[in-house]
Amino acid sequence: MSAPSDPATAAGQAPAPAAASAAASSSSGLTFKLHPLVIVNVSDHHTRVKAQAACSGDSSSSSGAAAGQPPRVFGCVIGVQRGRTVEIFNSFELVLDPVTGTLDRAFLEKKQELYKKVFPDFYVLGWYSTGSDVQDTDMQIHKALMDVNESPVYLLLNPAINLSQKDLPVTIYESELHVIDGSPQLIFVRSNYTIETVEAERISVDHVAHLKPSDGGSAATQLAAHLTGIHSAIKMLNSRVRVIHQYLVAMQKGDIPVDNSLLRQVSSLVRRLPAMESQKFQDDFLMEYNDTLLMTYLAMFTNCSSTMNELVEKINTSYERPATRRGGRGAFM
Amino acid sequence: MEPTSSASIARQTWELENNIPAAATDPDAMDAIYRYDDAAQARAQQEKPWANDPHHFRRAKISALALLKMVVHARAGGTIEVMGLMQGKCEGDSIIVMDAFALPVEGTETRVNAQADAYEYMVEYSTINKQAGRLENVVGWYHSHPGYGCWLSGIDVSTQMLNQQFTEPFLAVVIDPTRTVSAGKVEIGAFRTYPKDYKPPDEPVSEYQTIPLNKIEDFGVHCKQYYSLDITYFKSSLDSHLLDLLWNKYWVNTLSSSPLLGNRDYVAGQIFDLADKLEQAEGQLAHSRFGGMLMPSQRKKEQEESPLAKVTRDSSKITAEQVHGLMSQVIKDILFNSVHPSSKASTSVPDSSGPEPMVEA
Repeated sequence: MSAPSDPATAAGQAPAPAAASAAASSSSGLTFKLHPLVIVNVSDHHTRVKAQAACSGDSSSSSGAAAGQPPRVFGCVIGVQRGRTVEIFNSFELVLDPVTGTLDRAFLEKKQELYKKVFPDFYVLGWYSTGSDVQDTDMQIHKALMDVNESPVYLLLNPAINLSQKDLPVTIYESELHVIDGSPQLIFVRSNYTIETVEAERISVDHVAHLKPSDGGSAATQLAAHLTGIHSAIKMLNSRVRVIHQYLVAMQKGDIPVDNSLLRQVSSLVRRLPAMESQKFQDDFLMEYNDTLLMTYLAMFTNCSSTMNELVEKINTSYERPATRRGGRGAFM
Repeated sequence: MEPTSSASIARQTWELENNIPAAATDPDAMDAIYRYDDAAQARAQQEKPWANDPHHFRRAKISALALLKMVVHARAGGTIEVMGLMQGKCEGDSIIVMDAFALPVEGTETRVNAQADAYEYMVEYSTINKQAGRLENVVGWYHSHPGYGCWLSGIDVSTQMLNQQFTEPFLAVVIDPTRTVSAGKVEIGAFRTYPKDYKPPDEPVSEYQTIPLNKIEDFGVHCKQYYSLDITYFKSSLDSHLLDLLWNKYWVNTLSSSPLLGNRDYVAGQIFDLADKLEQAEGQLAHSRFGGMLMPSQRKKEQEESPLAKVTRDSSKITAEQVHGLMSQVIKDILFNSVHPSSKASTSVPDSSGPEPMVEA
């Protein structure tokens, strides 16, 4: 997502509460791409542990856990790093010693080995946990992972449901070495990420997010589903454009100080329209269009001939008499 | 935000249409399904309600996580068949799938001994998963049929039959990642086989689906040996919250992807297959012209569709998908390409004038 498309969210995010150690943003220049599977996986892990804790624990501790602090969960994120781009594809759970708070090393290695067999291209990129904020003990776990990946990432998901929130409650941190009070220290820095999906993933996320009936049903429902998808995407685009518009109007009125760099971004965005204006594109587009029309025509043809065939059979059946059968059929076929 | 509310309306209508109890909207009740009751499962294991009724399980409930994992894995395999196992539990007449994991087995040839090869992996995986709080046992397996529809082949049937004898409850799930992308909806089927000596009642033919010519024999021979289960999906309250928010992030993908471009090979293959089928249908029609008419009594019996009618359905399906793809392209062309230079100069937000009537419609 490009920054100018939602200045509101960007502005809202900046003063978000963050641990003092994690306030700075990353300078490593890495691009993070996050797949929805990871988010769903972490969320499932959290829900599962919460549900289990609520039923297995005795009443006093479970009520305490439910009201105050749901148990934190820990896991590993795996994926691929190509150059400066880090793509996080999947994740798996980790076990933490509840007393000392250290990683179960044997478990991690076993799990890693098992995943290696199925997804040979994926490497351990870092780890995830849940909570509203970075905690002091997190750096220990982070350091413990450094012999697996020398600069691990830390993905934090805030499981609290806040309906007014518009942004994903997921934060990715990197660690950086800073000199604080004369001694070098590792601190967490926040990095930006984008959501990346492959087509099949997008369809299934759509599928579960909107809970479409599994059997696609008739052609009409499929068409409706298709158009609804496009419609809501366009609605989203419209609302984003409106945000920019309101922002610009406010700037013109003088309610908001003029920000030239933002204006430049808006201007370049607007100037990108029309997105594709060349004769070649028009030709290709028309060709595609006509190809599809031709396909429709052919399908219509098949349809007609099938209907025709049925009609002929029906006529044959109703008019056929044992004596004249041969002749009658000959006339029609 | 508008999309969130439209999503919730869509969900409510769906819940209404599909008789989802109102409790499903209550977060606590929604998450109750995530609790694993060891004692209840052990009791079910003891009682074996499925032993007497070959048609005991009628529904499959699949979690959002399991669906996502299976589809992504199946898609990652490309044109190669992949397989994995599902973990979950059973409750009444439904099998609940909570999670899935991939197995290091690929391809049709290895399918036969996949069980032996993968067994060790499976045991290792589920033991160590138990430590991490995933308490459910394996309740089934999934594999992909890239490009040729969701049904069980002969080998699949015998694999499933074997498993239903020894590791009940067991469910087979088939996913077609290629068709998922081309149709824009998840192509998935959940199946269970009948015991060997069981004669299934004559059921209404399940939803018609296109099966390539070179697989149709395999499909026809075995299609009476299993039945399909109704699939529903569930997600936790946190899942639905996150998925709603996720939409705010990636709605762009809906506009930027084009099914027409991504599926060229698949569509070409489908048309090729269609041509073969047409030829075959023509042969059969020509044949029936001379032979079939002589036995009208026999012809009456086969109320099934003629091959030509089936071909017609296939061709309509391919065309409908193509037209959908084209529709998105046309909409995008209107949105992003039909901006006239004059409007660009006059207003700072040119696209608010153009597409607005469409959005409001």
